[in-house]
Amino acid sequence: MRTEFRHTLLRRLRGQIVGWSIGLVLYSLMLVAIFPTVSQMEDLERFLAAYPEEMLGFFEMLTEIHTPVGYLDTYFFNYMPLIIGIFVVGIGTKLLVADEERGVLDLILAHPVSRTGLYLGRVLAFIAAIGVILMVCWLSWTVPARQAGMDLSWLAFLRPFIPLFVLLLCFGALGLVLSLVLPAARLASMVTGALLVANYLLRGLANLDDRLATMIQYTPMHYYQGATAVDGLNWGWLAALGLVTTVLIVAGWVLFQRREIRVGGEHSWSLTDVFRLLRRS
Amino acid sequence: MPAFPALRADGLIKNYGSVRALRGVDLEVKRGEIFGFLGPNGAGKTTTIRCMLDLIRPSGGLIRVLGLDPQADPLAVRAQVGYLPGELNLESNMTVSEALSYFAQLRGDRVDRLYMSQLAEHLALDIDNSIKNLSRGNKQKVGLVQALMARPHLLLLDEPTSGLDPLMQQVVYRLLQEACSNGATVFFSSHIISEVEAIAGRVAIIREGRIVQEASPGQLVEMAMRRVSVRFREPVDPSPLGRVEGVSVLSHADNQVKLQVAGTMDGLIKALALLPVQDLETERPSLEEIFLAYYAGGDREADIYAH
Repeated sequence: MRTEFRHTLLRRLRGQIVGWSIGLVLYSLMLVAIFPTVSQMEDLERFLAAYPEEMLGFFEMLTEIHTPVGYLDTYFFNYMPLIIGIFVVGIGTKLLVADEERGVLDLILAHPVSRTGLYLGRVLAFIAAIGVILMVCWLSWTVPARQAGMDLSWLAFLRPFIPLFVLLLCFGALGLVLSLVLPAARLASMVTGALLVANYLLRGLANLDDRLATMIQYTPMHYYQGATAVDGLNWGWLAALGLVTTVLIVAGWVLFQRREIRVGGEHSWSLTDVFRLLRRS
Repeated sequence: MPAFPALRADGLIKNYGSVRALRGVDLEVKRGEIFGFLGPNGAGKTTTIRCMLDLIRPSGGLIRVLGLDPQADPLAVRAQVGYLPGELNLESNMTVSEALSYFAQLRGDRVDRLYMSQLAEHLALDIDNSIKNLSRGNKQKVGLVQALMARPHLLLLDEPTSGLDPLMQQVVYRLLQEACSNGATVFFSSHIISEVEAIAGRVAIIREGRIVQEASPGQLVEMAMRRVSVRFREPVDPSPLGRVEGVSVLSHADNQVKLQVAGTMDGLIKALALLPVQDLETERPSLEEIFLAYYAGGDREADIYAH
């Protein structure tokens, strides 16, 4: 497990961790640098009043944009599930199946490494990769914050990263499970990515339409606090997200244990396979 | 040496949906032997090997590797097995040395690094090269080094010399014979008949998911029917020859008769002694012809050659 953890984190994911970290650090530093200008904008209320009502509804904290929490939410924590989510879904869906499709997994699993060890090693490396990226983001906000007039403690900055971390894990785990169910990693990426975007849009639109408010309760993003976590974590929501993530990771483990490892290449579904699955369900 | 064989399969079945890849493979490989596994593409060679490593699960039958059940105790099996897949793919973002270190770590670092370097040297493999710059043959060498470097008790090699030049093939044969003389069992699949003749002590031929023949290469040739061509000084009636047990007349023209003989030549020679023989030629099919008969024509043609 240790070998797989180290190899996945330092070899397979290294480039992506470095690339995404650099991009997000630059973005975060730019936002911190702009904050003083936004917080001191004159006629902000008149400016916001000119916004369409739908826009103000979609971005809940837009009216608080001159405060650190409102600014953080509107420009960072609102988007990040989507932006970092793309990375996370890509990694989650490729964590095991991409190696199988490349014909690499066959040889690895012919060594004395258990499927559980390999699965846990890779999942933990995946969790660590997200953790490292978010940690770097947190540092790039919290270190220069005081100079930019954002009067928040390091702990207050850290808090909203926790629900973001768990939400990202949730979508990553969903991608992992779908990659083990669907015939190809590419397809799993597409489906999980579509679900992520749909959930993001639904979350914004649910603020505008009461009929969607019921539906959103059954999706992970409803339990995402965004920057409001600066003032305190909603432990119930965190536990719900954590539970769903754990269930998905366990489901992925069960599927991987039972999986017949292919020599290589993508699988495909014939109509017979689809009917068989429908009959089973 | 333990009593159990290195490999044993009894009625091994593997189905992929409606496709029956293995239809009851029966196989026994003794410890310390080099065993060749021959068959055309899609015959079930790779499927059999992958069942042995728990990469795929049999649909029926029994399989034992070094006395262990690979489904029940896959780690114990894999700890004693070196495997070379038929379609070798390696992670490309590493050097050869890094890839071999990774494989060594997967074995808990129980690998003799000096032996690893010696193997690479024998195979003329530059371990500082990047995997992504390697030719197919050099990638195959990496696969061979990783399979051999832990000095496993059993080597499962799917097409071990695929992509290698003839000189390197000879080096591989030598390495496999060395491993065998050090107590390892070698089980390898191949299409190359000369390779099997060169190193295998015993051979199994698999076709359409079943073992159709199992013997030593020499025995296979022995078992094959002889073809005998006899020229007489004058025209003769060949019917007495056709009545000899194990002899059938293939053709008869002018003074020449072509016969097929199963078993010993004794009866035929006694019958020929009564006739005015001018010349006699006898030939056996080559091992290659025997295999080709199994590969190409199914049981009917195979029966022509072997009994």
